[in-house]
Amino acid sequence: MLVKYEFLKIVRKKSTLIVMAVSLILTGFLFGLPIMQYQIYNQDGVIKGTKGIAYEKEQFADLSVPLSEEYVAETIREVQGLFENPDNIGTDGNEQFLVGDAYWNGIAPREKLLNLIADTYSSPNDRWGYNHLPDLDVKEGKPFYQAMKGKIQTLLDSPSRALSDEQKEYWGGMADKVDTPLQYGYYGGWEIIISSFELLMFALLAICIVTAPVFSGEYQAGTDAVILSAKYGKTRLTTAKIAASLLFGTAAFILHVVVACGLPLAAFGIDGWNLPLQIANTTVPYPYTFLQAVLINIGIIYLVLLAMIGLTLLLSAKMKSPYLVLIILVPILFIPMFLTPNGTTGIYNLLLFLMPYRSAMPEFDKYISYQFGGLVLDVITVRAVFYAILTVIMLTLARLGFKKHQVA
Amino acid sequence: MELQLQDLRKQYGEKCAVNNVSVNLAPGVYGLLGANGAGKTTLMRMICGVLKPTSGNIRLNGKTVEQLGEQYYTHLGYMPQDFGFYPDFTAREFMLYMAAVKGLDKRLAKKRTENLLHMVNLSDVADKKIKSYSGGMKQRLGIAQAELNSPSILILDEPTAGLDPKERVRFRNLISDFAKEKIVILSTHIVSDVSYIADTILMMKQGHFLLQEPMSTVTDSIRGKVWELLVDERTAAEYSRKFSVVNLHHENDMVRLRMIEETAPGEDAQMVEPGLEDLFLYYFGEEAGRQEER
Ligand SMILES: Nc1ncnc2c1ncn2[C@@H]1O[C@H](COP(=O)(O)OP(=O)(O)OP(=O)(O)O)[C@@H](O)[C@H]1O
Ligand SMILES: [Mg+2]
Repeated sequence: MLVKYEFLKIVRKKSTLIVMAVSLILTGFLFGLPIMQYQIYNQDGVIKGTKGIAYEKEQFADLSVPLSEEYVAETIREVQGLFENPDNIGTDGNEQFLVGDAYWNGIAPREKLLNLIADTYSSPNDRWGYNHLPDLDVKEGKPFYQAMKGKIQTLLDSPSRALSDEQKEYWGGMADKVDTPLQYGYYGGWEIIISSFELLMFALLAICIVTAPVFSGEYQAGTDAVILSAKYGKTRLTTAKIAASLLFGTAAFILHVVVACGLPLAAFGIDGWNLPLQIANTTVPYPYTFLQAVLINIGIIYLVLLAMIGLTLLLSAKMKSPYLVLIILVPILFIPMFLTPNGTTGIYNLLLFLMPYRSAMPEFDKYISYQFGGLVLDVITVRAVFYAILTVIMLTLARLGFKKHQVA
Repeated sequence: MELQLQDLRKQYGEKCAVNNVSVNLAPGVYGLLGANGAGKTTLMRMICGVLKPTSGNIRLNGKTVEQLGEQYYTHLGYMPQDFGFYPDFTAREFMLYMAAVKGLDKRLAKKRTENLLHMVNLSDVADKKIKSYSGGMKQRLGIAQAELNSPSILILDEPTAGLDPKERVRFRNLISDFAKEKIVILSTHIVSDVSYIADTILMMKQGHFLLQEPMSTVTDSIRGKVWELLVDERTAAEYSRKFSVVNLHHENDMVRLRMIEETAPGEDAQMVEPGLEDLFLYYFGEEAGRQEER
């Protein structure tokens, strides 16, 4: 009953509708941009937008195969064959490339896959493309999955990361759980979602703006005296206000996620939902499919949202007006955007990766882990625990803040 | 039903807004009189549990507010001074919302809402948004919400402020209707508001009670000390300096002075019947005289 009224109080306001509309349009625009900007080249020139997407998916049709050792070796040999004919080769003075039909027929339709294979064999500081494939001696036996494991190990061992033995073991063990051979295929929609997650921060900000007046709005309107002197004012009403805020936040979040994921998936298709993350980057240790990865990260962002609603409500209970709440909140949400990580294990980095803005980015390929004694936890687990705890603390303090509010 | 305030005190930094107030209140209408800043609002906020006293306590039938918890607030109806509404709510929605916060069940909430909106003459506009209401309509809605839970303690902080004389009369009648069997505390600095409906006068100055007297005997202390005298303007100025003049009224070239003095201030002075206003001005003098609305 009270929850219903408090919910109505939130959604009835014109400002709520305006803020939500603006943030939905913004989210739609940001997540729709990659669709509008999409372009792919073929021999005849550029193909843009949805036609380009359809063209790329056609090419991937032949590539929906398991990446077995034989298939990879065969693919490498094919590329090496193309490089054997000097007529196919062009150069920029530094590196050699394939040109003409050899490129358009032999490389272009599967360039992403070839780059993935080549890069798996590269050392951590290089970024190899297909044109490095001729350097590999396939006959000598360069098994693909061994190379993949080797590269992960090299990354873990690199001194700049300064990972402890326990952490190396943790990540190595996780990477071992990845099912091989990897199943390849098209995953265009998921790739866009995963690389754009932090854009959901605008949705979080919008939701916080809307919930900022939940308590402070009462102080500002001068209604605090009547409701706090009513029977349930300091008890059930507080709970109802918190519940209504969380309810609104959840509904608004779902709406934004539907827009954010719906647009790319509608344009690029849901193809790839059951494929492993590693077909985008073989050094990713998390043994998830694209769908699992997206759901997990949405879950994390949802927990961040809950904690931010908690913080908003706490500030709201303590401050005299909703504007003061936002003045404090906006920097907390967005300052981490301007801070760049300078490694992976320093305390500054470890904290930075837990900040609201940073937490929206999954960082699946960064091996960020937290060690407490002998216990090693990956960044996703730590974010989940951290934000869940933060939510509980914030909401408890917010409740107390309103209960203790003095009308003076 | 007995509401006890024991050594109630509220300190804001150096300033003592309410200074060791002790009083036992039985059912009846209490007119809380005091000049601006006397501490009326502060006292009422503490009674209503929205402001923590610096020291002292409040007991209802012997139990403290802390002991009673939610129970205490079921007895309470509060209409604060200058309080706000949700501008986008209609009067009916606001009443139903307040009824929910006060823990009334749905059926009772509906019934009380309709009754009260009718009583305060807002039935016709009950579905209009509150932001379209006049000050008087808002005041009436304010008292209606205070009365929703049929409180046995009704706290009204300057309920008639900003009302025109006709509305004020209507408001007084409303309060009288609601007041039966209740402890009603009504603050104001408009003396005429309470002189009709209060049973007891509580006079507050600088945070403490100067006086608690039944209405019937409240003016006894100045009986025989209120004088009226008709003098010319020059003499009037002289009298104003020498005596405590509570009122002066120009009649053609002459001035009618009303004074409070132990003995007749002049040969022609006539002893008159004291009123509550004389008492108020006697206690608050210049300070209140300037602000007194007439
Ligand atoms: N929040 C506060 N901080 C500091 N001083 C305050 C605060 N609230 C009230 N006061 C002071 O306490 C004193 C009593 O104020 P209060 O509002 O209770 O008076 P009042 O009798 O209701 O006056 P009025 O007739 O103007 O409504 C005043 O001097 C006021 O300045
Ligand atoms: Mg006041």
